[in-house]
This record gives sequence, structure tokens and C-alpha cells, in this order.
Amino acid sequence: MKSTFLAALAAGGLALGAGQAFSADEITLQLKWVTQAQFAGYYVALEKGFYEEEGLDVTIKPGGPDIAPAQVLAGGGADVIVDWMPSALATREKGVPLVNIAQPYKSSGMMLTCLKENNVMSPEDFPGKTLGVWFYGNEYPFLSWMAHLGIPTDGGEDGVTVLKQGFNVDPLLQKQAACISTMTYNEYWQVIDAGISEDQLNTFKYEDEGVATLEDGLYVLEDDLKDPKFKDDMVKFVRASMKGWKWAEENPDEAAEIVLDYDDTGAQTEKHQKRMMSEVAKLTAGSNGALDPADYQRTVEVLLGGGSDPVITKEPEGAYTLEITDAALSN
Amino acid sequence: MNDGFVWFAIAFWLGGWAFNEWLVRQKFSNPALNRLAWFAVPVIFGAAIIIIWEGVVIAFNIPPILLPAPSDVWVRLINSLPILWADFRQTFLKAVLIGYAIGCGSGFLVAILIDRSPFLKNGLLPFGNFVSALPIVGIAPIMVMWFGFDWPSKAAVVVVATFFPMLVNTIQGLSASSSMERDLMRTYAATWSQTLIKLRLPAAWPFIFNALKINSTLALIGAIVAEFFGTPTVGMGFRISTEVGRANIDMVWAEIAVAALAGSAFYGVVALIQRVVTFWHPSVRSGRS
Repeated sequence: MKSTFLAALAAGGLALGAGQAFSADEITLQLKWVTQAQFAGYYVALEKGFYEEEGLDVTIKPGGPDIAPAQVLAGGGADVIVDWMPSALATREKGVPLVNIAQPYKSSGMMLTCLKENNVMSPEDFPGKTLGVWFYGNEYPFLSWMAHLGIPTDGGEDGVTVLKQGFNVDPLLQKQAACISTMTYNEYWQVIDAGISEDQLNTFKYEDEGVATLEDGLYVLEDDLKDPKFKDDMVKFVRASMKGWKWAEENPDEAAEIVLDYDDTGAQTEKHQKRMMSEVAKLTAGSNGALDPADYQRTVEVLLGGGSDPVITKEPEGAYTLEITDAALSN
Repeated sequence: MNDGFVWFAIAFWLGGWAFNEWLVRQKFSNPALNRLAWFAVPVIFGAAIIIIWEGVVIAFNIPPILLPAPSDVWVRLINSLPILWADFRQTFLKAVLIGYAIGCGSGFLVAILIDRSPFLKNGLLPFGNFVSALPIVGIAPIMVMWFGFDWPSKAAVVVVATFFPMLVNTIQGLSASSSMERDLMRTYAATWSQTLIKLRLPAAWPFIFNALKINSTLALIGAIVAEFFGTPTVGMGFRISTEVGRANIDMVWAEIAVAALAGSAFYGVVALIQRVVTFWHPSVRSGRS
């Protein structure tokens, strides 16, 4: 019954049925965001033929502001997605069983960037200020952090006023917010490019504040992993992807060029992508692709410690597997 | 229970269909019964759609992240009334109503000015055309830049969305009176303003109310879409776009239900006022509007 319905969906222009791997070794990867050096490793593996060597035919789907990777995965539009662990765990708790199979990013690139003139020198200065935050599943790290600091996020004297920030840096430039969310490899440089010098800014990296959560891991649906064929494909996929990532770290400029070639929108510039790649390389350098359970545990604790409104309410079970990376990295 | 409900859904749908077919063919002698039948047909149809939806979700095991069952949406709606009310107040009572009043009011006044002077007609009408062609997703971020991220920027988007339909319809309406009637006013030595108030505006009401009805839905759409950009953490558009990312699709549908109710009620109120104001119009006199 289920499969016939999904076949009907597929005929209706929607994606293929959930829980069914595509025909021989076709794999669709759904990115978390638009084509940019944040995902260089996958584009390098595609361009350099690393996927092909493994016998895989990989399609990379760029994301965007209106694409929730977990939803694409649940709808059968992708076999594997790039997502941040906070939203992946929250989605898992809501009944979409996402499993982390690899973690190419060791460190978090998330931070708050403030103009010094707004007198935000330390987290103690947050109350009473307006802070820009991304939503759409990206708000969890921020909300956890505020919960750890004990600062309410509904405005007022002792709380912070949260502004839903579009995916740009305008609120800081227009003085609508004292601080905004930025990634070390992207929005921070947009602020710099807008003509603000680094010494006019102060930043709070989630890594330094001890509230970093894992970003840009690879996730699949739990049920798919029961299929040995799919598992084998994922081993190959992770192995080739990590080969791509390490190549990108060693050849950042060429990797940025490859990303630019795959950017159909033409929105990315060479200067920005090369800078992004060199920043991204710092975050992926510590990882061979295998998830470190200690990092996972830290992420879970940050999310559980969310005070009255935790991101996840109970310790997740089976939210990651090391099987894929163990097999991928052993040979 | 599962299979049982699916069969019930199919049975209800077929039964409701048959009953409606029978109902629309009836002529009751009692006008109250007629009114009830007229009211029952869409209600039965709506109920059938919701029950079929529930049945489909159960029958095909559709994951809630793709399409939640109406029963789940209802539970979520009942349990989130304070949030939904806060969103409604932010989006509807502030952005929509204020933007609607300013947009329709300015559209009306500019139409009067244009009607007064050919010079303005040549200058302002193309400009109005131009404004109407601006895409909401394009102007919304700019309005956030100008008016901040709270409701005034959303109201500004609503103003832009509602201004033009009002302008065009009012201009059209002002030329609705016939030359014979205008000649009569001239023989009475009526001034321009007297002619406007006593003849031309009343003749224009049907057009103006058309614009008010169109704008009631445009305003709501405009405000919700505008909230997909920079917003405070409250509002219907904010909630819809945020909860999609959080995989709370039931909340998204609950918010959509509120928006649909608010939009229908708004439209209904405007239509009701129209009936009162244009009681002389043939479409109202014959008991249908």
C-alpha cells in the first residue's frame, strides 16, 4: 500500500519512495545550503572522479533558505543529507529517525559578530540588546547558549530581543541589531566586505564559549541502513567524500575554483569562495570523517541543558553509527 | 481502527456526495430550511475533504513531516492557542489592518486627485502601474531596511500591495455614472464636489468595494510573505517559516488554518458592509451578493 502510493507520488513529479535506495549505485546528496566552499569536499569528489572510482553516480542538490534537508530526506528526495546535529537530533525526536554516518567537520564555525560601538564586550553585556539569529532549524545552538547563560530570549531589560535574521548581514550594518549570527567562513567576511574593519568588531565563537554543536554531518534514514546494499554504497560514498575533503584542504584555491564551476546561480565570487575554503579547511582539518563520540556527547549535553525549553528532551538513542566510517576508513 | 477509519472515510465521502446532490435539487417551502440547505452543502463538502485527508494519511502511512493528519493539526491548534493568538495579533491586527487602511485610503485619495486633474493622471497612473508590478519578495527586504524589522515594515508591504487595486478600481468607478446623469447635475448648477458626493461616488461604490474585497486577501498574503524576511520572533509568517525548519508541520497547518479563517472573516465583513452601503444595487436587491 505504502509503496504504491509513493510510486504514485513519484509519477506525480515528487521524489522516489522513502526507504528505497535508487537503482544501482545512484546516490543523491542534499546539501544544507547553496553551492559554496562549505561543501567543497563533495564537489571535489564529484569533479575529480572519486565517486566514479567507487562506482557511484552521485547527484548533488544545492539547498537554500526554503529547503529543510531532513524533509527532503523523509520525502525520498535524497539518500543522504548534510545537516547540523542540533536540528538533526530535534527532527529525530519528532519521529524522523535521522542517523549520523560521518562527521567531516570537527569544529563549529558559528559565532556572534558584534560592532564594538554597541558595547558588547562579553556575554554579560547581552541583556537588553537585540541579537540577530537565523531560524529554520539553525536557531538551536543560539537558544541553547542563552539557556546556559540563563538569559531569556523574549526581550525586556534582563533578556535579549531576538531578531529573525535573513541570510545576510544587513541588521548589523543598519544598526538594527547589536550582534548578528555569522559563520567564520561566510557571513563574517560579508561584514568585512561591507567596509567594516576587523578591529571594529568583536566576536563570540561558540567553540570558545563551550557551547559548540556539531555542524555539517552526513545523515541518512535509520531504516535505509538495514539494507546491506545501501550500507555498502554509503561506505563508498563516505570514503570518496573524505578523499574529496582532504584534497580540498590541501588545494584550497583549486577546490574553490571547482565549487565556482558547479555554482549555477553565478552568485558566488572567486575571492569569497577562496577565503571561505581556507576558513572551512580549519574546521574540517581535525576530522578524518569519523564522528568522535565525545563531540557527540558534548553536543547532546549542550542541547539537553536548554533550561526550560531544551532543544531535545531526552538523551537520543541510536542517533549515530560508526559502522560506515569504520568500514570506509579501514581500507 | 486504522482500516476501519479508511472505509468510514470512503463511505462518508460517497454518502456526503449523494446527500449534497439530493440537497441542491430540493426546493423547500420553508425559507429557513432553504437557507439551512444552502449552508449545509459547503459544510458537508468541507467535512468530507477533511475526513478523506485523515483517511489518506492513515491508509498510506504518510509521515507527519510531509503531511500531518487533520486530527494532529487540531490537537496542536487547541494546545497552542496563546502562541497563535500572539501571532494573529502581530500580523493581522497590526500589519494587515493598518497597512490595509493606509493602502486603501491613499489609493482612494490619489484616485480622486487623478480624477480632478489630467496632469496628475498622466504622471501618477503610470507610477501606480509601476508600483503594482513590484514583487513582494523584492520589496519586503527593502522595507525591513527602511522601517525596521517589526510590524511597520510589514504594514508598508501591505500598503504597496493594496494601493494599486484601489486606485484603478476607484478611477474606473468614478467614470461609471452616465453622461445623462452628469448633465442633470450640471443643470442643477452643482459644483464638482457636490457632483462627486451625490452622484459619482455612490455610482462608484460597487467598484470600490470590489477593490476592498480583493485587497482584504492581498493584504493578508502580503503581510505573511513579508514576514519570511527579517522579523521579531512572533507573527504568522515567522511561525510558518520557522516551524517548517523545525519539522513541526502540524504547527504550520494550524497557522494556515488561522490565516484562512482570518482571511475569510475579513472578506466576509467587507462583503457585509458592501450589502449595507450598496443596498440599491441590482445584485443586492435580488437577494444575492
